[in-house]
Parts: sequence; C-alpha cells; structure tokens
Amino acid sequence: MATRTITKDIITLRGSAAIVSEFFGYAANSILYNRGIYPEESFAKVKKYGLPLLLTQDNDVKAFITNLTAQLSEWLESGKLQRVVLVIMSKATSEVLERWNFSIETDNQVVEKGVSREKSDKEIMREIQAIMRQIASSITYLPCLDEQCAFDVLAYTDKDVEVPFTWIESDPKLIANPQMVKLHSFDTKVMSYFVLSSPLYRRFCSNREPIVLDVNLWRYLCRYTRLIHWFPTKMTNGTNNRHGIWCVS
Amino acid sequence: MIVRTPTQRKRRASTTDDDYSVFTPNQQQLQQQQQQQPLIIYEDDPNESSHPNSSSSSHQMLCTYQCRQMVKSEFLDAFSTAEKQLRDYQSKFESLNDDLCKSEIERKKYYDQLSYSEQELAGAKGREKALQEQLMKEVTDSQERFQKHIMSHSELEVKLRKEVDVRRHAESSAASAKEKVNLLEEKLNNLSESTEREKNRLHREIARLKKESKLSVSRISANLERMECRASYAEKESELLKRQLEDHSKQLNECLHQKSEIERKLLSFTFPSQEVSTTEVYTLVKHLQEELRNCESEVQEARRLKSLSDNIELMRERLSEEKGRRERAESELLKLQEVQLSMKELEDELMLWKFAIKEIPGISCSDDLPIKFAGLQKEVVDNMMKVGEISARLKLTEVALEAAENGKQLTETEAALTKEKTEELTFELKRLELTLSSVSGERDRLRNEANTWKKQKNVGPAGEIKNESLIQELEASLAEKECSIRQLENKLSDQKEVISRQYKEIMLLTERLNNEARRIKSLEREGDRLRSEISLLESKLGHGDFSAASTKVLRMVNTLAVDNEAKHTIEALRTELQKTKDKLQAVEELKGQSDVGNLIDADISEKLARLKTQIATLEKREERYKTVFAEKISVFRRACCSLFGYKILMDDHQRPNGIPVTRFTLQSIYAQSDDEKLEFEYESGNTNILANGYASQSEIAHQIEIFVRKMNSIPAFTANLTVESFNKRTLS
Repeated sequence: MATRTITKDIITLRGSAAIVSEFFGYAANSILYNRGIYPEESFAKVKKYGLPLLLTQDNDVKAFITNLTAQLSEWLESGKLQRVVLVIMSKATSEVLERWNFSIETDNQVVEKGVSREKSDKEIMREIQAIMRQIASSITYLPCLDEQCAFDVLAYTDKDVEVPFTWIESDPKLIANPQMVKLHSFDTKVMSYFVLSSPLYRRFCSNREPIVLDVNLWRYLCRYTRLIHWFPTKMTNGTNNRHGIWCVS
Repeated sequence: MIVRTPTQRKRRASTTDDDYSVFTPNQQQLQQQQQQQPLIIYEDDPNESSHPNSSSSSHQMLCTYQCRQMVKSEFLDAFSTAEKQLRDYQSKFESLNDDLCKSEIERKKYYDQLSYSEQELAGAKGREKALQEQLMKEVTDSQERFQKHIMSHSELEVKLRKEVDVRRHAESSAASAKEKVNLLEEKLNNLSESTEREKNRLHREIARLKKESKLSVSRISANLERMECRASYAEKESELLKRQLEDHSKQLNECLHQKSEIERKLLSFTFPSQEVSTTEVYTLVKHLQEELRNCESEVQEARRLKSLSDNIELMRERLSEEKGRRERAESELLKLQEVQLSMKELEDELMLWKFAIKEIPGISCSDDLPIKFAGLQKEVVDNMMKVGEISARLKLTEVALEAAENGKQLTETEAALTKEKTEELTFELKRLELTLSSVSGERDRLRNEANTWKKQKNVGPAGEIKNESLIQELEASLAEKECSIRQLENKLSDQKEVISRQYKEIMLLTERLNNEARRIKSLEREGDRLRSEISLLESKLGHGDFSAASTKVLRMVNTLAVDNEAKHTIEALRTELQKTKDKLQAVEELKGQSDVGNLIDADISEKLARLKTQIATLEKREERYKTVFAEKISVFRRACCSLFGYKILMDDHQRPNGIPVTRFTLQSIYAQSDDEKLEFEYESGNTNILANGYASQSEIAHQIEIFVRKMNSIPAFTANLTVESFNKRTLS
C-alpha cells in the first residue's frame, strides 16, 4: 500500500529573510491595488505563490519597493527588524488613514547559532496563499478611500541598528483613538513571523465629524494562538526561509 | 460334708428389696458367688483322715439332721427370698434397662443434637473464618488503598504546598507587576494627555502659521504674477523692439551702404562737379545730416532699449532670485516648523524623562532610565511568563486535584462500602455471638442433663466416658473458638479505630482540597483578569506604541512624494533654464546686431512712444482701479459686517485635483473668542461649510444639521447663529 510521505525542506535564516522580504513586496503591492492608492491600469498581473497577484508598473513605486525590500532583507538577516508598518495617508492633509502592521519575531537561536529547521514547501505555499487572500478580502469590510492618498513604510528596528543614509528616524504616525480589528492568527514552528495588520482607517461622515475605524492585526505568542504556520521554502543554494507569516483572528 | 454356714439373720420380707439396694458391692459379689456356686453337702471326707488339719473343721461343720433340716429350711427360705429378690431384681433390671434404653435414646437424641449443634458450630466457624478471611482481605485491601491514597494525598499536599508557595510568589510578583503596570499606565495617560494638549496647541499654531503662510504666499504669488505680467509685457516689448532693431539695423546697413556710395560718389564727384550741384550737395548733405541725426537718435533709442532689455534681464534674474529665496524661505519655514516641533517634542520628552527620573526609584541619571525600563519590561515579560507557567501548573494541579477528588470519592465510597461491610460483619458477629451464647447455653443445659443422667445411672461407663470426652473436646473447641472470636473482635475493633482515624484524615484532606479548589478558582479569575490586561496591553502595543529604549522607527528619505516633488521642481527648473537660455541667445543675437549700428525708423519711434504712453496710462489706470477697488471692497466689507454681523475673509485655494476654490472665513461680531470662526468653500456656484473646531461643537453642529443639511439654507444658519451669539453677549 502506497503511503504519502511528507517532505520537509531545511530552513535557514538567509533564505527566510529573502522570502519574507519578497512576500512583503507582494503584500504591499496587493494593498496598494486593493485600497486604490494607484489606478488599476498601473498594475499588471503576475503569477506568484500559486495565485494571480498584481504588481505595479510605475517605475518610481517599483524602485521604491525594491530598495525597501532589499534593506528589509538585510535587517532580517541580522535579526534586528521588529516590525514593518505600511501607512496610508491623505495627500492633501498628510493625515494617517490606515496602518498595516507587520510584526516580526526572529528566533534568536537561529541568529546566534545558525541552526536550521524543517518545513514542507506545500505548507509554506498554502500559508502564503491564505494570507494573500485575507489581504484581498479585507476590502469587503473596509470603506473606500475617497480622497487621493499616498503611502509610506516605517521600519521598527532595534535601537543599535545603524541607520543607512537613505533612511531617517521618524515618528510612528499613529492614529488617535483607533478601532482595532483582529484577523486570523498563525503560529510558527521556529517563532519568526510577520503579523499582517489590517489598516487603521479614518473616515469623515456627512457632518464632518471624524469616525476612526482602526483595523489592526496583532500577533499572539505561540501559547495563545491556535493555528500557526511557517512558510519557508527551499532555495537552490540551500538557504531557506526562517520567518513565518501569520495572521491573528 | 456339709459346709456349715453361719446362721443367717432373719430378714423381713419388706426389707428384702431395700436390702438389695443396701447391699454393698462385695456382699453382692459374695451372694452372686454363692448363688453361682452349687450347695455342697458337707460330708466327712475320707481324705480328711489323711489330712488331720481338715478334721477340725469337719467337726466343726458337723451338724445334726435337724440342723440339716433347719438349714435346709432356712436355705429354702433364703432361696425363695433370693428368688423373690431375683425377680425383683429382674424387674428392677428390666425397668432399669428400659430406663437405660430411654436414657440411651435420649442420649442419642442429645448426641444428635450435639452433633447438629457441632455441625452448626463448625459451619458457623467456617463461615466466620471465611468472613474473617474476607474481612481481613478487604481490610488489607482497604488498608493498602488507604495507604496509597494517603501517599498520594501526602504527595498532593506536598505539591499543593509547593504550588501554593509558587502561587504566592507569582501573586506577589503579579501584584508588583500590576502596580508597575498601573504606574506606567498612569504615566502613559499623563503623557498621552500632555501630548494631546501639545498636539492641539501645535495644530492651532500650525493652522495659524499655515494661514499666515498662505496669505503671504498669496501675496507673493500676486506680486509674482504682477512681475511676471510685467516681465511678459517687457518681453513682448523687447521682442517688438528687437524686430524694430533688426529693421533699423537693416535700414542702417542700407544707409551705411548708401552713405559709402554717396561718399564714393562725393569723392568722385568732388572734382568735376563742384560747380554744377553745390545746391544738390547741400541738400544731400543736409538730408544726410538729418538722416544721420535721425539715425543717431534711433541709435540712442536702441541703446536705451538695450538698457531696458538689460534691466528686464536683471529684473528676471532678480525675479528668479526672489523665487529661489521664496522657495528657500518656505522650505526653511517648514524646516523651522519641524525643528520647532521636534524641539518641543524633545523638551516635552526631557521634562517627562526628568519627571520619570524623579518619580521612578532607583534612577539617578537619564542613562539609567532605559536600563530601568528594560529591566521593568523584562520583569513584566518574566512575570507574564511565570504567570503563564503558573497557569499551566495550575491547570495540571487542577487535573491532579480532580483526579485526587475522584480518588477521594472512590475511597469514600469504598470506605462507606467497607463501613457497611464492617457493620454487616459486626451484625453477623453479633448474630454469631448470640448463636454461640445460645449454643453454649444449650451445651450447659446438656452438660447438666448429662451429669444428672450420670448420677442416676452408674452404668455403661465406657459409652458415657466417650460422650464425656466428646463433650470435653467440643467444649475445648468451643473455648478455642470463643478465644479466636474474641481475638477477631479485638482485631475488628482495632480496624474500626483505624478506619475511623482514616476517615477523619480523609475529611480533613477533603476540607483542604475544597479550600485549595477555592483558591485555584480565585487564581483562575486573577489569571483571566491578567490575561485580559495583557491583551489590552498587547492591543496598545499593536496600535503602534513602542519602547523608545529598545526600538526606533525609520523611514526612507526619498519617499515617492518627495521624489515626485523633486522631479516636478527639476522639470520646472529645466523648462525655466531652457527658456532663459533661449532668451539669452535672442538677447545675444540682439546685442550682436545692435553693436554694428542701428537705423530706426521714425514710425517705430512714434509707435514706441505711443506704446509707452499707453503702458503708463494703463498702469496708472490699474493702480487707480486697485485703490478704488480696495476702498470699495473695504467699504463693502465693513457694510457687510455691520449689516449681517460677520467679518468675511476671502482666500483662494486650489484642490489637489487642480480645481480652484474660494474659501470664506466668517467671524461673528458677537463672537466671544477668536476661535469662533466658520469656514465656507465656494466653487462654481456651490457653497459648502467646512468642518473645524468651532463647527464641530454640539450646538453649532446641531444648527448646521438643521439649517444647512436639512433646510439647505446657509443664511438662515448664519442669522440664527448671530441671534444666539447676540443673546449670549447681551446676557453675559
């Protein structure tokens, strides 16, 4: 009788950082498309993670995201990156409308000792697909952004990180009195993961009073979460993903 | 020979039976021997002669015939009496035999009864043994189980003590963490309040600065537009002048060429034609002189125009410089604002840190703060970890407690069962004791009866001896059984005491278990509360708050907006550069052309003069119009203010999509503070009210809702507001 064997791939820190930063790039593009930050015609369809995803064709945005993901990968490899926040602001008033919070926990054992873990590719792909679908489905309960908006990316790093010359220190661009909405959560095997956060949203009603709807995903520690997954993949050079992505419900 | 018998006493007939009974056994034996031995007549025995010793006796024994007859009669009487006695004895014997049979029957009956009672005894003893064995087994089992439970209880007690200690430690640490969390929360609240106040103040200042900057920008833009218009006019003029200059230069060249020809002609004509055309020459010369003068005047005009164009270029350069200065000033203003904001933030942070340093114990300088905060955070994290571990242990102990409770319930049921069994056994024992007592009573009765029977009959000693030995054996066995029963009873009583002690211990343990269960529930509630606090803190952290001691927020310098703005500015600068380059080339061409020598037509100079006068008159008219408009508009504004009760400020804006809109700011003359301003936006015939601090007040918002949203009448709203503020003013 034939039995199904579960294949597991070796996961290292470098590959994990590369995959996580790549995922952030695709997630940022998905958010920009779904929230209408840039017009639809400026996006092109590509196949990634077994899903049809949309990537911006604007050269400036592309270059920005590429430089960003490169820096994030560097910080992830050193284990210094704590959080990445994608902020959507009004162009006219520079007011923060939405805040997508991606929290990261890196396994210190892997960073210090360089040990590796194992996880199957299929499971990784499945988890990424689930997260990308959740991003796409978040527009069903988020209100439309009527005004012209811009986006920015904030990186929460350790205090001792050397600031590159293309980066500066910034305020956290918080929203006053936000409302929090939590989405699905995933736990990881080796404890490194992104937290997808839904946006913090601020909307004006007809009488011009601000109503703040803050949708924020937060991470849970392993003992508090139920479904926790990795999404490491196997790289040709043997380096694999060490970070996991999970969403909170 | 007749054996001489001694004379017998004469017995009475009545006493024969009595004598029979009185006979002693020896006499009875003699009588029996005599009865058995035949009567031998004594005769002289011939052998006696041979035996001289026996002769005396024969002499003694010799009696007469009478004596013989007497003896015979006596013998016969005795024989009859003996026969009577015999018959009596036989009857007595028969009766005694009957009695013996009866007694034997009764003995058998009693023996059967004895055997039955013995069997019953044996059965009872067997049952008792079996019950005792069962009891012993159950007692040993229950003892073992009790011992096991006691061991488990003792282990659980030890674990409970440990867990209680750990829980106390965790409680104390959680309490300290809670206190710290409360302190931190209070500080956070204070910080947030202060930041909100500062934010509001900064927003107000920013709004004021923005308005001022907008006004200044509008003024500067108006000035710029004016200068640009002037520059365009000047450019147009310069172009016109350049064209004129070109024409004039062409004419000049022609004139020069004509002049050279004329001079040649003059030179050629000087010798031969002096006499002929002096007048023509004079006229030519005059004409040429006039033309020269005109050319000179035109050259001067051209030079003046050139100087004007130089001035225009200078003005353009100054314009560009001023534009650059304005941009620099704006950027510096922005930077100033940012620097001021950052300064204020830093000052606030410093104050807060100073307060924190003063309030938090164990900190002597600002460098200790991050360490202290890190330590506190670590403590909080450790405490939360401990709380989590303790909750896990609590759950384990709960599971163990539940198992112990189940075991306790089992033991209680078993103890109840053993109690019931012991009670049953005691009842059984009592019953057996009763049966024993009854049997012993029966035995005693039988014994007494046997004794009486023995006394009545001294016959058959062998069977009676057997019965007595059996009875003695039974008695001995009964005594042994009684001893064993007493021992068992003692053991039972001991076991009962042990069971009662164990039961008391079980009750104590159950009480302790209940107390511990109550404590566990209270700890669970505290754990849930702590978890909810943790989730609240996590949500706060998820909101975006972070520890400045361990984390910093970075963003890219060249964001897309900045890049776009830089690109726009670069493109605008490039276009301006191209334009200035083109103009420079044109002016250089003009310079090159004007350096040769300029011939300007009189018509062009007249046109120039006319244009200049027109420009001057238009400028004057414009200035007059402006002054008149300013006066009129100020009068109009004052009239509107006095008539409608609102000071109106008009300002032009541009929306992000490029649509220009006009913004009106209304302030009532009855306003009690400068913040009471209404803002409206006018765009292509539509007026909309904008939200601000004053409009968001509840009363004003209510009026806006009624008059503007529902009734779509802004004048009604403003009139109502005027009346209300007038009433407030008059009342106050």
